[in-house]
Formats: sequence, C-alpha cells, structure tokens
Amino acid sequence: MRRLAVPGALVAAIVLIALAAPLLDLPDPVRQDVARRLSGPGPGSPLGRDEFGRDVLSRLIWGARASLTVAFASAGIACALGTLLGLLGGWFRGLGELLALRSMDIVLCFPPILLALLVVTLLGPGTATLILVLSILFLPGFVRVTYAEVLSARSHDYVEAVRALGAGPLRILLVTVLPNVAGPILVQLSLAVAAAVVLESGLSFLGLGVVPPEPSWGLMIRGARATMAQAPLLLLWPCAALTVTILAMNLLCDALRDWVDPRTAAAVRLRAIDRVLPGLLPPPRSDAVLKVEGLTVEIDTPAGVIRPVEDVSLAVGPGETVAIVGESGSGKSLTAAAVMGLLPPAARVAAGAAWFDGVDLLRLHETALRQLRGNAIAMVFQDPMSSLNPVHRTGDQVAEAILAHRPITAAAARREAVALFRRVGIADPERRSRAFPHEMSGGMRQRVMIAIAIANKPRLLIADEPTTALDVTVQAQILDLLADLRRETGMAVVFITHNLGLVAEIADRVVVMYAGQVVEQGDTASVFARPLHPYTRALLAAVPEGEAKPEAIPGTVPPPHALPPGCRFAPRCPHAAPACAAGVPPLAPQEGRHVRCVRLDVMRGETASA
Amino acid sequence: MLLWAARRVVVSLVLIWTVATVVFTVIHLVPGDPAELLLSSGGVAPDPAAVAELRERLGLDRPFLVQYGDFLSRLARGDLGTSMIDDHPIMDEVLLRLPRTLELIAAGAVLAVMIGIPVGTEAALRRGTVFDRATSATAALLLAVPIFVVGTLLVLVFAQWLRWMPAGGYVPLARDPWQHLTLLTMPALAIAKGLVAVVFRMTRAAVLDSLSRDFVRTARAKGLSPARILVHHVVRNAIIPVLTVLALHMGTLLGGTVLVEYVFNWPGLSTPLLKAVEARDYPMVIGIVLTISVLFVALNLVMDLVYAALDPRIRHA
Repeated sequence: MRRLAVPGALVAAIVLIALAAPLLDLPDPVRQDVARRLSGPGPGSPLGRDEFGRDVLSRLIWGARASLTVAFASAGIACALGTLLGLLGGWFRGLGELLALRSMDIVLCFPPILLALLVVTLLGPGTATLILVLSILFLPGFVRVTYAEVLSARSHDYVEAVRALGAGPLRILLVTVLPNVAGPILVQLSLAVAAAVVLESGLSFLGLGVVPPEPSWGLMIRGARATMAQAPLLLLWPCAALTVTILAMNLLCDALRDWVDPRTAAAVRLRAIDRVLPGLLPPPRSDAVLKVEGLTVEIDTPAGVIRPVEDVSLAVGPGETVAIVGESGSGKSLTAAAVMGLLPPAARVAAGAAWFDGVDLLRLHETALRQLRGNAIAMVFQDPMSSLNPVHRTGDQVAEAILAHRPITAAAARREAVALFRRVGIADPERRSRAFPHEMSGGMRQRVMIAIAIANKPRLLIADEPTTALDVTVQAQILDLLADLRRETGMAVVFITHNLGLVAEIADRVVVMYAGQVVEQGDTASVFARPLHPYTRALLAAVPEGEAKPEAIPGTVPPPHALPPGCRFAPRCPHAAPACAAGVPPLAPQEGRHVRCVRLDVMRGETASA
Repeated sequence: MLLWAARRVVVSLVLIWTVATVVFTVIHLVPGDPAELLLSSGGVAPDPAAVAELRERLGLDRPFLVQYGDFLSRLARGDLGTSMIDDHPIMDEVLLRLPRTLELIAAGAVLAVMIGIPVGTEAALRRGTVFDRATSATAALLLAVPIFVVGTLLVLVFAQWLRWMPAGGYVPLARDPWQHLTLLTMPALAIAKGLVAVVFRMTRAAVLDSLSRDFVRTARAKGLSPARILVHHVVRNAIIPVLTVLALHMGTLLGGTVLVEYVFNWPGLSTPLLKAVEARDYPMVIGIVLTISVLFVALNLVMDLVYAALDPRIRHA
C-alpha cells in the first residue's frame, strides 16, 4: 500500500491541477503577444513566453488538460467496451467468443502509431479522432484481460455455486464475476491511461494530434524545437512535465499490479551468510565418510528468526546407507542442502559441523566445496523434470558434469556419458543421450540424474526423495538401481524420504526427524522391530502393509515459528502427558540407539506387550 | 520442426492478407470516398465533375469486389500502385527507403540487447544493492520519457550545446562510412532507449527466476564453475522470455521509427508516410502501412523461429 501513496499523490495532483485550470486565473493560453516572444520569466509569466509570446505556464497547465482528457476518455471508452466484450465472449463462448477475440487480433497486427496514422488520414487530425484511435488501440487489452479472468472465474467453486442456485447469467456476470475481475481491469486501465498520454503527445508532436493553437505538451515540444538554440528552457518544460507525468503513472501501474497480484511483489532479501568461528574444534577421529555434528540452520523471516533444522547429528560409514525420514517440514532436505552448501539464499548455517575427509564442509570455501560437489559428493534430487535443464540435451548435461572435474576432451566425455546411460539402465543409450528432458519419461529422467551423480564415482551420494515424483513400479526400479550401484562402487548413501516403507528395503540405519530435530536414530532392523519414539511408531503405522489399513497421523508438523514449548510431537502424540510440555526432551542413548522422549518407560512397556 | 515452421509461415501469410483486407475495407467504408475527401478542403464542397474524374482515374467507380480483387492481385505481384499526388510508383519509394528504416531498427535492437542483457544479469546477481536499485530506477525513467522527447533532448545536448555531431540527416554508407555511422548514432540511441529498459527488466526478472530453478541447483551440485552456471544454465534459459518480450515490442519499435526519423530527419519510410497522411494520399498511406505491417508480421515470424531454435520444447507444442 505504501508504494501506492507517492505516485498516487503525484498523479492525483497533476489531475487536480488540470481540472482546476479554469479556476486558476491563468493568462489565455492561445493569446499571442508577438512583441514579447521568447521573453524569459517575468511578472505575469513565471516560466516565460513561447515563440508566439504565449504564456508557457498557462499552456503547460491547459496542455495537461488536453492530454488527460484524451487519455481518460479513450481509456474509459476502451475499458467499458472491452470489459463488456470480454465478459460476453468469456461467458457465452461460441460465436461471440470468436468475434470478440479474433477481431481484436486484427488490431494487434498493426504497430499502434501506424494504426493511428491510418485513422488520422481518414478522419483528419483532432481531439475526437485521437480519442477514437486510442480507444480502438486499447480495446484488445481489456477484452483479453476480462476474457481470461472470466474463463478462470467460471470454473471457480463460488460461481458454480451461484449458478446452481439458479441465478441468471447477467446477474452472475455483474454481481459475482465482475468484482473478481475488477483488479486486473483496474491495472489495465492505468496502463492504458499512461500509454494514451505517450501516444497523444507523440501524434501531437508530429502535428497529427491536437490541432493548433490548442495547447498540448507534444505540440509545445514541436514548437520549441525550432527555437531550441535561443530558448532551450521552452523545450525542457514540456519535456519535464510529460516525463514526470508518465513516470508517476508507470509507478502507479506497477504498484497497482503488485497490490492486485501480490505474487509478483515477493522479493527475497539477501543476507550475508554468517559463519561461526571456523576451525575451533579438531576434526573427530572416526572412519565415517560423513559426520554431521550439531547442525543448526536459521532463516530470517518477517516474524523473526526460525530454525528449521536444530542440533542435528548423524554419521554415515563407508558403503553404508543411512535414511533420513520425516514428513514435509521436518527439515530433512535442508539438512542435506546445508551439507552440500546448497542452502537457499535466505537460510544460513548457524552452528555445527559436517566432516568429510577431515574437512568441515560447512566452513569450506566455495571454490573448494565446488571441487567436491559432483565429484566426491554427489546429489540426486526429487523432481527430475525441473532438475534437468530443459534446453540442453540430456547426454550433454551428463558430459558437463564429467568435464567439470576431469581434464578430458568433450568427445571422450560424451562417450563416457553414453556408457553411463547404459550403466543406469537406459535402453538405446546413443540415441537417448541426444534427447531433451521433455522427450523422456519420469523414470528415465531420474536415471539421467543418477548418471550425472555417479559420473565421477562419488564416495558419498545424497538422494533427496529420489522416487517421490515417480509412480510405484518405476520407484522400485530406481531403488534397485541405487542398491546395485552402491554394491558395485562401495559409495555411502544418504537417502532422504518421507516413506518409511522404502527405508526397510534400502537403509542400514535410519534417522527419524520431526520439526527440525532428530527424534530417533538406530539400525533399521531394530527400529522397525521395536520403534521407541511415538512418532516413529506413527510413521510405521502409516505405511500401507498387506490387508492392514494405514493409519494417518492426526494433525500436521508445526511450522517453525509456532513450535510447542516442550516435546514438539506432543500435540499430536497419543501418549502425551503433562511432563511432555515441561521442556524439549534430550536425545538420549537407549538400547544402542538414540531417542528423544520423556515417556520411554511407558513406550517400552507398550512395545513389549504389543 | 519443418512442419511447425511451415505452419507458422502460413499463419503469417493469413495475417498479412487480413491486414490488407482490413486496410482496404476501412478506406472504402468511411463516409464519402477517397476522391471526395481528397478534393474537399476547408468545408467547401468539391466540384462534382472533378470528383467524378478522379474516381474514374482511381478506379473507384467500379464495384467494390472488383476493386478488391484488383487490389489483391496487384499486391501479390508486389505492385502497391502509384501516388495520387505525383503518380510516382509507391513500390519504388518503399524499396528506396525501407532499408534505411530497417537499419535503424536493427541498430536499436542490437544496442538494446547488448546493453540490456549484461546489465540486467548483473543487476539480478547483485539484487538489493545500490547497483541494482540505480539501474532499475534508470530503466523506469527511460520507460517514462517519450521517444521523441529523448530524441529532441539528444539533439539539444549533442548537436546544439556540445556540437559533437550534426542534428540529423543521412549520408549513404557507401559514400562516407564514418559520417554514416555518426549520423546513425543518435537515432539508434533514441530507438533503443525504451527497448533497453524493457530488455533490462525482463532479463533481470528472468535471471532471478532461473537462479531459483532446480536445474541451477543441479548445476551447482555438479560442481560447475559460477561462470559456466551463469552462461550455460541461468542466462541460456533466461534468454527465452527476453526474446518473447523483444518480439512483443517490435510494434513499439516500428512505431518509434516514425517519430525518430522525423526528429533526426532520417529519410526512412516515415517521411513520405507523414507527408501522405497530411495530403491524404491514400494509395501511399496504404502502401507504406501495409509494408510496415508485413514487416511487423515478418519480424514476429523470425522471432518465433529463433525462439523455437532456443527452446526445444516449443517445436513439439
């Protein structure tokens, strides 16, 4: 709203001054006084006089009136007529639709100023001609906007509902649809007014718009051109008036558009990523390929700092597969992104370390990190369609990954890409490597993504929901492929999923996350045999298995800015007790694994009896 | 791909035919026919004998459909008729002046792309900084200043005050290349001014959009260098919407040449057009308007083809 205020006030001021022109006691804008031609500012004429001795200030203000009359009249006519045509075309379809839209296409075949010149030839210059021409020019914009809005409004539930109540089409159009299309039409109207001012001044400048001696900014610039050597100010005044008016109108249009359609206004604020003191702790001695310790990710939001990942620790041994499981919003993908150094700009690592080969990935310089990414550490993402670049051939995208890390020729890289295509099970790899992503199926695309990931024989592969976007049979094939590759290459795998059912098939160990925290971790067999945390248990119950009906978990993951005070799962937990709200429970070692629950005794008893 | 291109060409031809028909019909639908309008001046009724003679000379006394058929068949042979004022063949005039107008458009478009795309990319990469805000504000200002105002102010500053170059005019390239380019500079800048702003804005938005795409994340996950990510993944994809916008603004560009040629005295198509509009020389107006509309449609066609070459998804749509 604030962005509307300044340009809005400016436009309002210009319109008011133009409206008030007769009341301002200005000298007659057309009265000539050749004796005082080109005289500078003086009493009675604060901006001086033009080449015929006419008062410049008076002509500027009366000129605004001429421009704005044409602009508002033409935009108004185009708006009324165009909205009507669009409403009728969109509502009745058929012949009306055809006529309303196709006739508009003809107008769009002409560059605007040419159509104007054509009409001026026929009707002669003048204000009435200008209004007619500009209304014709702006008509298509209104028809199209209204038509598109009506089509989308038609399918909305509320329109269907009113229709079902037996309302007639006219009533529906006027009462239900029109208020909903009002926003876009308002934007279109403001655009048309601004464009009309530009076109009117241009035509007047050519001597084909407003007829002299009537004042108009375009005509004033035309007149001042001849005397620009002696009196450059005469040129600058109307130029400035015109520019300021159009600028204010444009800004108003932008602000209106953002106000009507808030999606376009979304702007991400950049922040330098804060890093905690690097290198304070020595690297831990362990045989783990990846060891994440106390990872915390923060995001600044208008509502304050949130922590979508808090104090997450996990380790992945060589050749081991670790699954990170949780619903959307549990922070599992952000954990992986932080390790890869691929956090979105708004998020930053606030604390923790991620050790890989004796270096902390979280504190590694971008250049060094880049040499690891796609090389020793690789990643496969959820949606293979959007993750592949639509304009490059898939084989080239694989070759690109090879060339980024190894000094071989482009031809050799392309041959290797074909071999990789064969390795990930793509039939006819030579031909397929020349296909674009949109020419492939979802499963095929994910195979390409995997080929990119394994291109440089990584020691760690992070797979972020690699099968979620695929259908079930393809899912199984991709899982088999990943398992094969792991056996063959001995790479460690971090497998992120919300589907606990997949975990049993693929993972050695499992990390269950909820609302940014690890709530349980341990080896897959024992966690499945005896889940200790109520959330793990709820996730297991939600897996469809045999005849048993899966049980959905009631409620949703709390958003990071509205976390409950104690245990974050307590509000959805069937076993919650007053103790659960007392404070966040610690992640305690239990039976060879770690669990974050204060009611473990109760849980253990229940599991035993179950 | 070939079939798709052929279809686009046919659609363009239909558009040109529609434009020609509309222009022809409109001229004949206005109250009073061209002969009457041409001869009437200052509200004085024209001499009926003179009107009849002119009508016969222009073939206006024949049935509408006969005239229309004649008009189309001549058009198909590339004959635009002769000027009502001096009987000069219109096609000669068009062929002489069209290349000069095209040169202006090309120079303006090249300038706009060469300035708009790099600056827009840089602004997107440095979003929120002073550079970003300064360039965005400049673009808003450029969009607001009408093209003839920019032209006139260029003349005032560079020709009148600084005396760096002549206020306008034209010298053929073959006669004096240096002088030709000097005279081209200001008109090209004026033509480019709005387009630079449009290309800048679109590039900035498209690069910002590309940057947040999954495939850029994939490129980063591959460990590619920032330069390669920028050129091959971000800008390569951002170019496509930028080109669409360029195509959409071809009409503004063509309209802009009318004003710019007038300001800088550039002897393109608009000088005879404006003269013809003032003198109500119908055949000349129709001829030039048709030429520019055909150009408009053709430019859009070229843009579509370039677009398809850049975006493999289009060819199958």
